[in-house]
Amino acid sequence: MTQTDLLEKFSAIAELRRGLLAGGRDPTALVTESLRSPTEGLINGRNTILAGTNNYLGLTFDPACIAAGKAALDAFGTGTTGSRMANGSFAGHGALEREMADFYGLPHGLVFSTGYAANLGMLAALLGPGDAVLLDADAHASLYDGCRMSGASIFRFRHNDPASLDARLRRLGSQARRALIVVEGLYSVLGDVAPLTEMVAIKKAHGAYLLVDEAHSLGVFGATGRGVAEAQGVEAEVDFTVGTFSKSLGATGGYCVSANAVLPLVRYTSRPFIFTASASPSVIATTRAALAQLRARPELRTRVWANAERLHAAFTTLGLNLGAPPSPVVAVRFAQRDDAYQCWQQLIDAGVYTNLMMPPASPDGSSLLRVSCSAAHTFAQIDAIVAAFKDIVAPVQRRTSTPVVSA
Amino acid sequence: MSNIEQTLLALLTEALVRERELAPELDLDTDFVSGLGLESIQVMEFVMTVEERFDIAIDLDTLSTVKSIRDLGAVVAKAKAVTP
Repeated sequence: MTQTDLLEKFSAIAELRRGLLAGGRDPTALVTESLRSPTEGLINGRNTILAGTNNYLGLTFDPACIAAGKAALDAFGTGTTGSRMANGSFAGHGALEREMADFYGLPHGLVFSTGYAANLGMLAALLGPGDAVLLDADAHASLYDGCRMSGASIFRFRHNDPASLDARLRRLGSQARRALIVVEGLYSVLGDVAPLTEMVAIKKAHGAYLLVDEAHSLGVFGATGRGVAEAQGVEAEVDFTVGTFSKSLGATGGYCVSANAVLPLVRYTSRPFIFTASASPSVIATTRAALAQLRARPELRTRVWANAERLHAAFTTLGLNLGAPPSPVVAVRFAQRDDAYQCWQQLIDAGVYTNLMMPPASPDGSSLLRVSCSAAHTFAQIDAIVAAFKDIVAPVQRRTSTPVVSA
Repeated sequence: MSNIEQTLLALLTEALVRERELAPELDLDTDFVSGLGLESIQVMEFVMTVEERFDIAIDLDTLSTVKSIRDLGAVVAKAKAVTP
């Protein structure tokens, strides 16, 4: 079929939306009306346990972070009204860059307005036409988009599969020295972790570079919360670490840290860094306060893991089809798309919010409910989530017990 | 039909049978998206299998011009010619 009108492409989307609305609730249009805590909000007028956020350390209502944000509003106003390159670099932006670099024990840090912009901005700066990028097949959309924006040749390799990465680098031959490997630490949908140790060995063998997105692992993995590379002891081999302030640090914004002296040069060449307004001073201030909390309170990490282990163990006992070993992201997989959708709705009616993931936004074409743990969840809340899954999800999973084979 | 095209047809038929438990009607010019109803991500998954079968590398940009087995066959033949 050839499209004849500019806007004809929307008819397929309208169709998709009609389908979503026919089922009852539009999973993309849910509103949290108010919040009582990092883990409890009002949805459809009902108190709901929030089990589908990225608030891993539960810092969004931390008194120190809120006080820092208020003080910055008073001192610096509501916004910078300009780019980092022009009038939009306030004292806080530079301080946060130094603090992020210090946290990682690295000389260079760069702060972007969002995590999406950080990935776009770093990849578009590091890569160009004639370069090659080796991208994990399950990588986040922002990583795909950054690669596309760069004009480099993009080669996908099988998710978390070092042999598949190795084969593609080998086929590149001498171009491998102009190659960047792009992976995530913790994958945000299935909750599985990249085998960085093996990937680092492959990177070295081919003389390529490595960028790791620790968006979901910052504050959660590693002895000091620097992410999966720290947990696996391979930080020295990661050339560029990117991540976001919008998950563990409870704000918005993105960053890159590196030992490589090119990072300070990225400021001059990265369009997503230059051609956007810098983050508001209050956002920078709450991020800095949250980073200080992350560093000072390792018990937050202990708590989120205790909740994750408790949830994962209970789900395993219920016989649910899980996506990965325990982590703060626990994915429950469904063979039928409609089962996932119905369970998602019933869980909301029962006062539990989870994330519904359906193709094409989910990996390997399966549908799933993503449950995420926070350090701010109480054991009572975790047990309430488990009870709801026992009533609503377990019977469905027993009925359609064909396991979805993990890729 | 070239050997490459024959292999690609067999691989795609096998993948579709696995996915849909149904042998598709398929020839060299069947459009992956409008003819077979594949999503772009499914086409990318299939191409990964093709890369492994022929031990070649196909970048996503090249893939964006591929609509059918005939197109893909040309890409594979070209990649094999430059890969030692």
